[in-house]
Amino acid sequence: MQKDKFFREIENVNHPNEKLIKTHCSYCGMQCGMNLRVNTLTNKIVGVEPRYEWPVTVGKMCPKGVTAYQQTNHKDRILKPLIRDDSSLNGTKEGFREASWEEALTLVAKNFKELQAHYGKDSLSVFSGVSMTNEKCYLTGKFARVALGTRYIDYNGRFCMSSAAGGFLRTFGVDRGSTLPWTDIHETDCLFIAGSNTAECHPTSMFRVWAVQERGGYLIVADPRETPLARRADIHLDLRPGTDLALANGILHLLIKNGHADEQFVNQHTNGFEETKELVEQFTPAYTSMITGVSIEKIERAAEVYGKAPNAIVMFARGIEQQHKGVDNVSAYCNLALVTGKIGRPKAGVATFTGQGNGQGGREHGQKSDLLPGYRKITDPKAVEHVSKVWGINPEDMPQPGVSAYEMFELMEQKTIRGLYLLCSNPAVSAPNLNFVRNAMKNLDFMVCSDFYLSESAEFADVILPSVTWSEDEGTVTNLEGRIIKINKAQEPIGESKPDWQMQVELANLLGKGKHFDHLKTARDVAEEFRLATKGGNADYYGATWDKIDKQDGVFWPCREKEDKGTPHMFLDNKFYHSDGRAKICALPYRPPAEEPCEEYPLRLTTGRVVYHYLSGNQTRRIPFLKDMCPDPYVEVHPSTAEKYNINHDEVVKLFTRRGKAEYKVKITEAIREDTVFVPYHFGHDESINLLTIAALDPMSRMPEFKACAVEIEKLDTGKVL
Amino acid sequence: MTKRKLYLELENCIGCRSCLAACTQCGGHEQKNRNYVYDVNPLVNRQTMPLMCLHCADPACARSCPAQAIQIHETGAVLSALVEKCIGCQNCTIACPYGIPKFDEEENLMYKCDLCIDRTKDDIPPMCASVCPSNTLQWLTEEEIEMKKQSHDVGNDKWVTSMHYLEGETNVTVNLPGILQGTVKLF
Repeated sequence: MQKDKFFREIENVNHPNEKLIKTHCSYCGMQCGMNLRVNTLTNKIVGVEPRYEWPVTVGKMCPKGVTAYQQTNHKDRILKPLIRDDSSLNGTKEGFREASWEEALTLVAKNFKELQAHYGKDSLSVFSGVSMTNEKCYLTGKFARVALGTRYIDYNGRFCMSSAAGGFLRTFGVDRGSTLPWTDIHETDCLFIAGSNTAECHPTSMFRVWAVQERGGYLIVADPRETPLARRADIHLDLRPGTDLALANGILHLLIKNGHADEQFVNQHTNGFEETKELVEQFTPAYTSMITGVSIEKIERAAEVYGKAPNAIVMFARGIEQQHKGVDNVSAYCNLALVTGKIGRPKAGVATFTGQGNGQGGREHGQKSDLLPGYRKITDPKAVEHVSKVWGINPEDMPQPGVSAYEMFELMEQKTIRGLYLLCSNPAVSAPNLNFVRNAMKNLDFMVCSDFYLSESAEFADVILPSVTWSEDEGTVTNLEGRIIKINKAQEPIGESKPDWQMQVELANLLGKGKHFDHLKTARDVAEEFRLATKGGNADYYGATWDKIDKQDGVFWPCREKEDKGTPHMFLDNKFYHSDGRAKICALPYRPPAEEPCEEYPLRLTTGRVVYHYLSGNQTRRIPFLKDMCPDPYVEVHPSTAEKYNINHDEVVKLFTRRGKAEYKVKITEAIREDTVFVPYHFGHDESINLLTIAALDPMSRMPEFKACAVEIEKLDTGKVL
Repeated sequence: MTKRKLYLELENCIGCRSCLAACTQCGGHEQKNRNYVYDVNPLVNRQTMPLMCLHCADPACARSCPAQAIQIHETGAVLSALVEKCIGCQNCTIACPYGIPKFDEEENLMYKCDLCIDRTKDDIPPMCASVCPSNTLQWLTEEEIEMKKQSHDVGNDKWVTSMHYLEGETNVTVNLPGILQGTVKLF
C-alpha cells in the first residue's frame, strides 16, 4: 500500500527484556495497528507501543485501544470450565463450580444429544458474534450446520451491521462496507456523515476528518446530538431521531432539482432513477423540515455543498441503520452518491463505520441465518453444493435458513428452541426489549456460554467454557475498509482457556462429527479451509493468504487468485454486482419510527456509545482507566426539558417506556435536541437502557430500532443526588 | 538533539483522553498519567481541551524547587523531580502557572510530564502525541510549526493563535481555537 501524508518513518522503543508483537486492536472496525509489549522472561503481555507503520492509523489509538492489552491477564479471566448444577440459581453469578474440560464438554454433548433426540435437530441454536477472527466466524457456521445440524444460527451483527449489509446488497449487489480505502478520506472535498458519532465510536478516523476541513473541504453531519464531530461541522443537520429517510430524500430532491444529477452516469450505470425522482418530489425543503425538524436553510445548504463538491464521501453508521427502516436509510444515502455520480473513483464513494472488529468479515462467512461462506445464499443450490463439498457433507443435509437474532429469542420463549450455544456475545445487555430476552434465556432447557469473562449473559448458562482473548490466538479480521488483516498471537492462553475453534473441533468429536473437523489442528488449518469455502463467492478470500496480508499491509476483498493484489477501490470500472452491472437507485417512501411520541410518552429515546466503552461493556467495564472515566450510565437532557420536568444536573430520575424502566443520573447539556434524551447502552442488569428499547425489526435486515422509541421521565420523590 | 517539538491544536480535541491512557504506557511513568483533559463548558457543548506541560524555557517549577530536584534536559524538556532529591514540599505545584506538577501523597513525591524523555531524546514522539486520534497533539519540526503559524495568521486582530508564549517562552506551541479561520474553502 502506498503511504500517505500522515505516514512517518518512526522507530519503536523496545524496553529491556521485552519484545514487540505486531497486531491490531481487539475492539471496533477501525482495527488500529498496535504492538503488544511482551516480557521475554515471563512471556506475558505487559503493555502497548504504537504501530507507526500501519497505513490506516499510523500509531494512533483511542483509550480503549491503549488499554486493550489489560484484558489478557485480567483478574476476572475464567481459567477453567465452569458448571452450575443448581438450575434455580439461573440468572445469577452464583453456583458455578470449576470442572475439567472433559467433564464440561461431555456434559454439553450429552445435553445437546438428548435435546435433539427429544425435540429434533432444530431444538438447538447458536448465537454468535463478530468480535472474533474470520477463521472462528467461519468455523462457528460450519459447527452449527455440520456438528449440530441445526438451522438456528445467527449473530450479534443483527444488532449492528445487518442494515448496512441489506442496503448495500440492494443498491450495489455487493456488501463491502466501504467502496474506498480510509486513506482516501482526508483527500475528499466533502464528507457527509449521517448517524455516526465518529469522534467517540471510531476516534482514529478523526485526524483524517479534520484534515478535510483544514484543506478547505466541508463537513456535513446529520445527528440529533451535537457530538464532538458535529461540534465542528460546517453544517449540522440536527434531525429528530428516526427521520433520516425523509432527510436523505429531501437532499436528493434538491440535488436533482438544482441540476447536480450526473445524467450520463445515471443513464449508463444505474436503474430506478425516474421513479425515485418522482417519489422524492414531495420532499420539498419545507416538507422535509416539517418531518425532520431541521431548518430549511440547513437542508438547502447541505444539498448545495454536497452537490457542488468535486469529490465527496457519504458515510453513515448505526444512527441511520438501527431503525426499523435501516435498510431504506442506507439505500437512501447511497442514492445521493449514485445520482450525482460521486462513486466508483478515488476520493468519492460511500462507507459505513463498521461497529465490531470483524463486523465486515464476520457477516460474510456463514454465521448469518441465511448465508454460507463467501457471502453465498443458503437457498442457492449451487452455493450449497460448493460448500457441502468443502465440508464433506451431503448437500441434502445442509440445514434450511433459520431466523434472525432477536427472533431466536422469540422461539426460545415458545420452546421451539430449547438449547443455546452462546459465544462472543452478550445479548443480556445488547439485545433490545431485555425483559423479554432475559426471560427467554432463563427458560432454556440448557445453555452453554463461551467467554473469557463472566458476562451478564453467562449468568444464564449451565456450562461456561473459558475462551481466549484476541491476543492469545491468531487469524484474520476484515476491517471497516474491507481490508483483510492479520491478528497475531502474543502470549499463550492463560489457565486452561482455549480458542473457540478448538472447542468446536473437540465438541464435534463428542457429537460424532469428528471426521469433518479432526483435520483442523491449528488456526492456519482453519484459514486454509476457509479460503477454499469462500472461493467463487462475492466475498472471495481465496487469494488472501496470510503471507500476502503480511507483505502488502492487508488485502482488500474480493481477492480471487493468488496473483490478485485485491480491490482497494470498488466499482472503478463502474460495474456494479447486479446481474446487469447496474446499481439500483431506490425509490423509498418515508415511514415514521415504529413508536412515535404521544401524550403518555412525549420524548424520544435514542441510545449509543461513549468513547470509553465497547458494545455491552463486558470487556471495557473491567479496565480500570475506562471504568474511572465512565463508571455509570446517565441520561442526557436538554436544559429546557430539564426545567419542564423540574430536574437538575446529577439528579437521579426514572426513565420508562411501554417495555421497561430504569434509573439514571441526569446530565444536562445543550448539545441535544429538546425533544430527545440519550442514554449509553454499555451497562448491565438494572442499568441497561435496552430494558426500555423497542424490538421493532427492519423487514429486510431484522435490525431492531434501537435509535428511536417513545419515553417518559419521572422525577423521583427523593430527588436524590448522587 | 531533538528535531521536533510538541505542538497543540486545542480545537481538534474530541475528549477521548487517549493521551491520559497513553501517558501511563511510557516506560518511565510508573503507570501514572501526568497530563490533563478538561471539559471546557460541559453543560453547553462537548468542547474539551488537553492541558500538557509546556516545558517552559525558564520553568517556575524548577525555580521554586529548594532542592534542585527538577532538572532541565538538553532537549529543553523539564523533567520530573529526581526521586532522591525531591523533599515533597509541593512548591512546584503552587508555582506552576498551569497547575501541571502532580503530587503523590503516598510516596511524598512530585511527578510531572517529562515529555517521555526516553522517547523524545531520540526524536521518537511522546506517547500522548503518538496516539492522539484527532491530531490535537502533534510532534512537528520547527519548519512545520512555522508553516502552521503562517496559515493560521489572518491578521484581523481577532485571533491570537500560535502566539509565541502564554506566560513566558516555552518549548511547546499551543494553538488556541481559530485554526480554520485562515482556511480558504475549496468551493
